[in-house]
Formats: sequence, structure tokens, C-alpha cells
Amino acid sequence: MSKNFNQDSLKDIKRRREEWEKGTLKQALDRFKITKSPNEFYTPFDIADFDFADKVGFPGEYPFTAGAYASSVPGSGPVTGGYHIGGGGGLVRAGRYSGYGTAEDTRDYYTREIARGRKGGPNVAFDLPTQVGLDSDDPQAKGEVGRTGVAFDTLADFEVLYEPFKGDTDLDKIASNWTINAPTIVILAAYVALAEQRGLDLTKLKGTLQNDILKEYIARGTYIFPPKPSLRLFRDCLVYCNEKLPSLNPISISGYHMREAGASRVQALAFTLSNAISYVQVGVDAGLDVDSFIGRFTFNTLGGSMEVLKEICARRASRRMWAKIVKEKFHAKNQKSWTLREAGGFITGAWNCTTQRPMNNLTRAVIGGFSGALAGYIPSAEPPYDEPLGLGWSIEAQQLAEDAAKILHYEAKLTEVQDPLAGSYYFEATTDQIEKEAWELINKVEAMGGSVGAIDNGFMQRALAESAHEYQKKLEKGEEIVVGVNAFNGPQEIEVLPNRAIPYPYDAGKRAKAEEIQVAKLNGIRKKRDNRLVKKTLQAVEEAAADEKVNILPATIEAVKAYASIGEICNVLRKTLGEYSAFGSI
Amino acid sequence: MNAKKRIKVIIAKPGLDGHDRGAKVVTMGLRDEGMEVIYTGLRQTPEMIAKATVEEQPDVVGLSCLSGAHNYLFTEVVEQLKAKGMGDVIVIGGGNIPKEDVPYLTEHGVSAVFAGGSSVKDIANFIRGKLNA
Repeated sequence: MSKNFNQDSLKDIKRRREEWEKGTLKQALDRFKITKSPNEFYTPFDIADFDFADKVGFPGEYPFTAGAYASSVPGSGPVTGGYHIGGGGGLVRAGRYSGYGTAEDTRDYYTREIARGRKGGPNVAFDLPTQVGLDSDDPQAKGEVGRTGVAFDTLADFEVLYEPFKGDTDLDKIASNWTINAPTIVILAAYVALAEQRGLDLTKLKGTLQNDILKEYIARGTYIFPPKPSLRLFRDCLVYCNEKLPSLNPISISGYHMREAGASRVQALAFTLSNAISYVQVGVDAGLDVDSFIGRFTFNTLGGSMEVLKEICARRASRRMWAKIVKEKFHAKNQKSWTLREAGGFITGAWNCTTQRPMNNLTRAVIGGFSGALAGYIPSAEPPYDEPLGLGWSIEAQQLAEDAAKILHYEAKLTEVQDPLAGSYYFEATTDQIEKEAWELINKVEAMGGSVGAIDNGFMQRALAESAHEYQKKLEKGEEIVVGVNAFNGPQEIEVLPNRAIPYPYDAGKRAKAEEIQVAKLNGIRKKRDNRLVKKTLQAVEEAAADEKVNILPATIEAVKAYASIGEICNVLRKTLGEYSAFGSI
Repeated sequence: MNAKKRIKVIIAKPGLDGHDRGAKVVTMGLRDEGMEVIYTGLRQTPEMIAKATVEEQPDVVGLSCLSGAHNYLFTEVVEQLKAKGMGDVIVIGGGNIPKEDVPYLTEHGVSAVFAGGSSVKDIANFIRGKLNA
């Protein structure tokens, strides 16, 4: 077995370390009157078993520690066209997550963004009533319509929303992202219905559905149905996409929502992969060939923290673990299937953003983008610094976030070397350690029956709440420091408020009126549509839902085409599939 | 020393927002402070919160919202509490609340707003101060 270090030299290093601890280090600690060093130091002894091929390998090859792709940097050639104000020359493909008010409001916002040079399809943020399958006129939706994103009730809203995307940017030429989970089938059905209305070839449709329902029970909260029937809906999406929409990503598996909700690094890594295993198993159980679909599984970012040294290790571990799962557990044969496709260029997490001296969030984001580049991603300095100040970012904060990413890439040339930290005693040892701890937790979840079992018994939800509680206690004791929040916030510090010179991108007046307008629009559609057809198509959805073997999507598409609303469709499903009520997890 | 009555708190998530890290951390933290705390879970309507308040008779109702719907939801809870004769219960709020919305909330019956970065100790001290406990 070829190892990097021979036994004699390792013994020598061990001996010299002991001497160092008793000698040089102890002297230094004595001088500071402390007994334990605040710094770690790693030696070859910490990675005595290190084997390059087994642990690192080449970029884009198993086990993918060195990077998901052999060469992954777009736009590394000369930048033409000079000054890309407003992100026309962004490094990442996906459009910025956006949406508010009515479909008309968001359409106008998209139109303005396109005029400013933004390219590609929309990355649609939906409001909460849409995300939990309620119509805008539902009593529970009051106050929430058009707030966290655009309101969606019927196909008519998609017809308006996608008005700016025609001709050169028609649906068969752009890629959309939809942050939608529990009622994914309705949104997918609406997109298919719109494409058919425009006479487009469905096989050309590109996009990514978030569709990661399991993390909704664990962290994000926009569930509707219980976990098991929700996975059946996921199966129906996956099978439908596999047959009819081969260019569409049926899922974007997320770790960062769990991290935001309090998960530790290892918890987020382990639970994300546990969830991913559940989704792959759904496809396998549906009789699909693993290699026919895993290549279109994407990962939303795994999330992170300001402890970027460890976060870099966690990302390296995540790629290696996913490759092992897909190759060894599910026996996928294509190299592409083993790749963890993730937009991971920022690894510090939005939860570290502060409302106190918010410009500091730009510093934090730059650290995240810098570390993201070292971890093997195209850097992105997200989120924009004013993230915690309210919903929707200012254009200035977006500009600075995009500039920061470009500075990291073009000026600092951080992407010049792939996995530059490979072989480091610290990074390799810590990558191994995080991987080991994550496998232990994955095995624990497996023993509970996988993610569904660990959600049903409240294990995952409790784990996150306890981690969040522990972190808060450390903050209050000063064992964790957040600059400007629990430290360095005395009278000698000055508040630095960002100057928002360019008008706020979302029109607050429109957002305030959106609920009333949206409800009126929905009532108009209910009067205008063929209600006999609506009733008939909803009946068909109910019948499809009642038979677990049937794929629910074709019936859903027919209901959407008849302008049945998201609430009406979800109510039919609530009747047959049941509703999830949150486990009293704390 | 007088045996003081244990302070009782309901932490509630009005509306459809699913972000409950803050609600759970405050629930667990106020328990550490010796209070009895009930967490309602997600998606509570103002009516449900008022009903729970009548049943549980807490000293304090803490509302958390990060969806931007706080102005409507928090003040609606206050109104519902008044309508049920529970207007004396202290209502506090937290979540993603822009500074410019705080005066509106405090003018409409919300005693205090604890934004991101607040400590549970501060919340506990505020509650004790209000109750003279």
C-alpha cells in the first residue's frame, strides 16, 4: 500500500510533536498564563493513512473530492462588452431569486431587469399561500398574499408572469427555477400547460423545481400533506419528467434551510444526504434506471457558517459521500450520476447576516465566496448585504454582491487552481473527520427507517432545535462572538447604515395592494371559466390521487388547463392524501 | 421569601411563515429562565392564538413572523385578545421586522419588538420588568 509517509518518519514526527508541546508551545502558553492553546496544528501524523487516489482523485472523477467537474469555470475567457451593469455578465447561470405582489407586478419587475441586461429565465419566488397550496382568498392567506414572492392562483397568473419571455427567450430557450415544494405538481402542470398553449416542444423545457419536501418538515415549514403521500407526489413528478421533460431538473435538494434553522454542520450534511437517499429510492422503487434520473438531481447549496475552514472540509466530504452513495449503494454506472451538482459558491450562510451594521454582511459574504472558491465552486458573495433588513434586496447590494464574486474570480484568480487545499494535513484530516461523523448520523437515520422515519418520530426536528438552542446559549455567554451583535457593540462603535440611493426594486405600494387585486382577479376567473369542466377535472384528480399506482400529473395538467386554482386542487388532494400536522417537537 | 407564581408564556407563529428557529430558541431559552412556555407550532390564525390564550391564561404572548405579514397579523392578534377580554396579556413580537414598522406595532398594542440579535436574557428581563416579577 503506497502511503505518503513511511513509519519511521511518522514516529519521528510524533516524537518531535511531543517535544514541541512540552517545550516551545508550553513556554508560549506559560507566557500568556493559559494551559490550552487556542490554536491547532496538524502534521503528517494526522493523515497517516492518506492515499491520494482514494481520498482526493482528479477533479470531475470519483470520488470528486477535488471538484464536481474537471473544469468548471464559465466565462474565464476575456470579458467582452465592457461594463455589465446589473449582472448581465454574472458568473452563475440561474437568475436571481425574485418575485412579489401579483403576476403583473413581477412581470413588470422582470421586464425592467431584462431591459437592464439580465439574461436567462426567472428564478421564481412564490408567496406563502402558494407554497402551502392556498388560494389568495383563503382566510388563512390574509396578510400574506404577494409578500415573500409572487402570488399564484391559476394558469392565468403564469400566462402573465411569462409574458416577458417570448421569441428569443421563449420557454424552450430559457431555464426557470421555481422555489416550490409541497404543491410542486400544480406549478409543473401550469408550466407544461403554458408551453403547450404556446405550441412548444416539451422535451426542450429546461428548469429546476425545488421539490425537496422532506426538508420542509425538518426546517422550512411549507408542507401540506404527510411525508409518505408527499413522496408519492415526488415520484409522480420524477416519472413524468423522466418521460416527458428530459431536460428539466426534477429536484433541488437543500441543506441550507436546515443550517439556517439551526442544524450543525454534520447534521445538515447527514440529513441532506439522508433525504437525497430517500428520493433516489423513490425513483428506484418506481422502476426507473438509476442512471436515467440521478444525473438531473441537483443540490441547492448545503449551507454553511462563518467557520469557513471546517465548511470547506464539509463540502469536500459532501462530494465524496454522495459519489459513494450513488456508486456503491445505488450502483449507478455513469460518472455524471456520481456528481454532486450544487450551486455552492458561498458557504457562510444567510443566518450569519446581521441587522446591526449591515454593511458587515458584505465582508461576511466575501469570506463565504472566497472560501467557496477554495472549496471547489464558482465564487458567489451571497446574500446581498441587506438581506436581513427586509424582503427583497436593493439593487446596490445586488451589484456589490456580483462585483465581489467577479473580483474573487477575475482579480484574485481564486479559481485558477482546483482544490488548492488538497493534501493539507489539516484539510484532509478534518474532511475525514466530518465524513465519519456524518456517516454515523446517516446510519442512525437509516435505522429509524430513513428520513421519513426520522421526521415522523421528530428526531430531525428536535436535533435542529437543540443545536439552535445550544448556539444561542453560547452567544449569550460570549462563547460565540458575532461582531456588532453580542460584542463590539459599545458606545465607542458607530452604526453604519447602507445608503440606498437607487429606488427599492419592489414597489411597496403595489405590494400593499396586491392582495386585494389578486383576490378580485381570482373571483373574475371563477366567474369566467367553465365551472362544469373544473368540477370534472378536479374529480379526475381526486380519482387519480386515490389510486396510489396512478400518476397524478396528467389529471392535474387537465385541471390546471381548465383554470382550476391551486387551492382547489390541493383541497382535493388534502381530502385523499391527508394533511400533515406538525409534531410537537419541543 | 414569597413563593412567586411561575411566569407563563405562549410563543406562537401567526400566519403561514415556516421559519421557527427563533420561536423555538426563545421557547427553550425562557424555559431555562424558569418560565413555563408553550410553543403553538406553525400556521396559527389569530383566532387560534386568542383561543389558546383564553385556555392557557398566560402572562405573555410572544409572536414570531418572518414573512413580512407582521403588521396585519400581530395587530389582529391584539384585537382578538381584546375581543375575548384578554387585553391585559402582554404581547411581544419578533422576527424579521423592519425598524420602520416598530412604531406602528407598539402603537397598536405590541409591548416590544425583539429583532434578530436580541438575547433571550433581554426578553426575560423585559417580561419580568413588565410583570414586576
